[in-house]
Amino acid sequence: MQRTAHHDFARCKRLAAFVLLCVLPAWARAAEVHVPAVVEAGQAFSIPVQGSGQATFYLVGPDHVVKRTVSLGSDLQIQSSDVRTAGRYQVILCDASSSCTSATFEVKAAQPAHLSFFLHPSRVPVSTRDSIDAAAFVFDQYFNLILTPAAVDFRITPASGAGFSREVSTRRGVAWMRMDSTPHEGRVQVTAALDNVEEARVIQQVAAEACGLRMKAVASGSMVTLETDPVRDCSGNALPDGTVVSFTKVDKAGKSTVDTPIKKGIARVQFGVDGRAQISVACGVVLGNEVVVNGKL
Amino acid sequence: MKWALVGFLTVATALLVAYAWLQSGGLKQHAMFSSATPEEAVHALMSEIQAHNYQQAYASLDRSSDTDLASFIRDVAGSDGSLRTYSSLQTAEVSPLHANGDQALVRVRMNWSSAVGSLDDVRDLRVLRDGPVWRVVWPKPAFSKVPLQVVSVNYLSWDVIGRNTSQKWGAQDVDTPKVRITSMNAISRPGRVVILGEVENEDTVPAYLNVTATLLKADGSAIDEEGSFDLISHVLLPKQVSPYRIDFPGVRMDAVKSVRMDARALLVPASADPVIAVMDQKVSKDGLNRNVLEGELVNQSGRPVNIAQVLAAYYDNSGKVIWVSDGYVDQALMPQVSVPFAVDIPDDIAERMKSYRVIVNHYSRSSS
Amino acid sequence: MKSMADNTLAFKKVSLGLVRTRLVTTRLVKAASFAVVACVLALAQSSPQIHLPQANLPEVHLDADGLTPRPIEELTGTTIARHYALAWRDLAMALESGQAGGLGEEFVGFAKDHLMKRITEQNQTGMHVRIVDHGHHLKAVFYSTDGSAMQLLDQAQLEVQTFDGNKLLDTQNVPHEYMVLMTPGADRWYVRDLEEVSAKPF
Repeated sequence: MQRTAHHDFARCKRLAAFVLLCVLPAWARAAEVHVPAVVEAGQAFSIPVQGSGQATFYLVGPDHVVKRTVSLGSDLQIQSSDVRTAGRYQVILCDASSSCTSATFEVKAAQPAHLSFFLHPSRVPVSTRDSIDAAAFVFDQYFNLILTPAAVDFRITPASGAGFSREVSTRRGVAWMRMDSTPHEGRVQVTAALDNVEEARVIQQVAAEACGLRMKAVASGSMVTLETDPVRDCSGNALPDGTVVSFTKVDKAGKSTVDTPIKKGIARVQFGVDGRAQISVACGVVLGNEVVVNGKL
Repeated sequence: MKWALVGFLTVATALLVAYAWLQSGGLKQHAMFSSATPEEAVHALMSEIQAHNYQQAYASLDRSSDTDLASFIRDVAGSDGSLRTYSSLQTAEVSPLHANGDQALVRVRMNWSSAVGSLDDVRDLRVLRDGPVWRVVWPKPAFSKVPLQVVSVNYLSWDVIGRNTSQKWGAQDVDTPKVRITSMNAISRPGRVVILGEVENEDTVPAYLNVTATLLKADGSAIDEEGSFDLISHVLLPKQVSPYRIDFPGVRMDAVKSVRMDARALLVPASADPVIAVMDQKVSKDGLNRNVLEGELVNQSGRPVNIAQVLAAYYDNSGKVIWVSDGYVDQALMPQVSVPFAVDIPDDIAERMKSYRVIVNHYSRSSS
Repeated sequence: MKSMADNTLAFKKVSLGLVRTRLVTTRLVKAASFAVVACVLALAQSSPQIHLPQANLPEVHLDADGLTPRPIEELTGTTIARHYALAWRDLAMALESGQAGGLGEEFVGFAKDHLMKRITEQNQTGMHVRIVDHGHHLKAVFYSTDGSAMQLLDQAQLEVQTFDGNKLLDTQNVPHEYMVLMTPGADRWYVRDLEEVSAKPF
């Protein structure tokens, strides 16, 4: 009887020890992680963690990884530098027995701080419909794209004439608009503005195709000088210097051509003439007038 | 016995040396440098020129040649950084035209090889008998003299500044020049397909451009892709128009369903100088009875143009580009001096063409 | 009898000869096979590795219906889908191996900077991530008129395993949604920005 009781007691002790060994780790783990659903980029916060003992804390973000040993039962401090980039973050907590729990939270972009502004093209002919396109991407100070709608103001300041503006709401972080070029050549500044953030770009409005191209002939002995009127487009804007004008002379010696650039608004060339000659002028694909020179002027 | 062996060795050595001399073209060389006939005299002269032995070549000329050594070298080897100075004489085809007694007329067609291809120079040379040999009379080179003068250089030039490849995304940038292919024509030639047309710089800044074409099959897959290489004027000033030609050797027209064109332009610094006038253009026949478009180039600026390339576009009745040909001028274009040029025209194109247009590409050693 | 014996001897000699011949032939065949195999192996070693990138690329489906303000060209759409797939392949390889060298082939700008930083810090902590990519559905939502930027929404099915050394910390097998910005380069489209967003409609 005594031997049976002693044996039973030993068995009980062994069983209790076994149960204790099984339960203790569970008591030690008890690490629950509660994270906010959404955090603003660059905003420090804390994660309350329950439990006791030591654990390994991991934070895995789009461009950042943290691994450190923490004490359970106190709040985990997340620095602002840990959550600068927008996206999904994962928090993993592994206790001494290597059992891990995890949670995810989202970091959203902060307030607007940068605009990536595209203005196209950099040179555009005057008075052309839907020829200027502007697109602005809105970023926060950490260059996260701000996906919530925001109002971007596009202010247009032409070289001459009154300026105007147009407000466009962003969609998925992008605001874009299209406009006609103004009738006058020159520098046009377009500024995209949102709150305190501004970004300016400049485009050059240039004369369109030559219009009403005319030349006159001035004789001097056996030479004739051909000179165009100031070369302008149909809106009266002068074609820039350097634009090539082609003069062609046809006479009994054959055909002669000279491609010469406009200088100070006009193009000028000299030909020798021997007998009747027909001279024409062109600028790009635009033809001008023709003059006939008979050699006896 | 001993002397027999010595004798045998001597004879064998002599025979072997003679054989080696024959093998190395000794006979041919002898023929090249002898001047027993008018053709041989011209051959001998060409051989000396090919070997750059200009003094010996000049020494072999007839005394009646009205040229000095410096002018002869300048005429033959080129000067002023012209294309001829970068060329070497490859072959010379000699054909007698006329001979009687002590004088003869011989045509020599010199083929010069250069980095841009081969160049032909055809000359009719008078050859006179001088005792047992014939000697070439070298014609006096006609070098134009430009009087000393001051020429102002005041053409517009463009520079690109502030180019920074590492600038941030969205920073102020300048668009590449806007160019437009104004015409495209696909034609079939013997053994190839050719794409021709014209391209215009519609922008207000100079453009460096290249035109490529991709031939497509009926299922949309590509047969081949080629570029225009030097059959285009790569640098176009604002509103300038250039012809282009793209060759597809070994492709048949019936295999081609469509053509995809691409004109890529880059913003580059450029100068509106020099202005090269193309004077007195006309279609005629050259000395070999080939159709050529010839004329004269006049450099109207104050700086020499070392190498000039002529590009000619030919149009039919409807104004469609039916051919583009090119030719390099192997003389430098000195200021105000006219230099002749000639470019080949295929016979069938010469029959069909209604009009033509010539532009000039230029390359100068020192740019502004 | 003698002839019989001679015949037998001759037969034996012939048989022996045949056997020898067979042995020699067998040895020759073996040697030849060995040589052929050796040649093939050497050729395989010397020739460039034949990649089968198509086999390793995740599936990407691009939907560009109603794209504004610029419609997409067919060739552009094909190129974008292909390079986006290449980008994800490179991203997964980099996150698993800790080697960031190949990221510049498909990533540029913010996306490249973020990934480089992430991989550096992964390596410092001894961690790595394995992504099992079950495909992407791309919806193009904005294409700038000058063709210089395209914005897309990516709904991706990814299984993400996070490791610390050899120890698996966590496995996530959930849909992910990304806001993607792609910009054209000389011969390809690059991923300039890749932001994971919540799956709420915009």
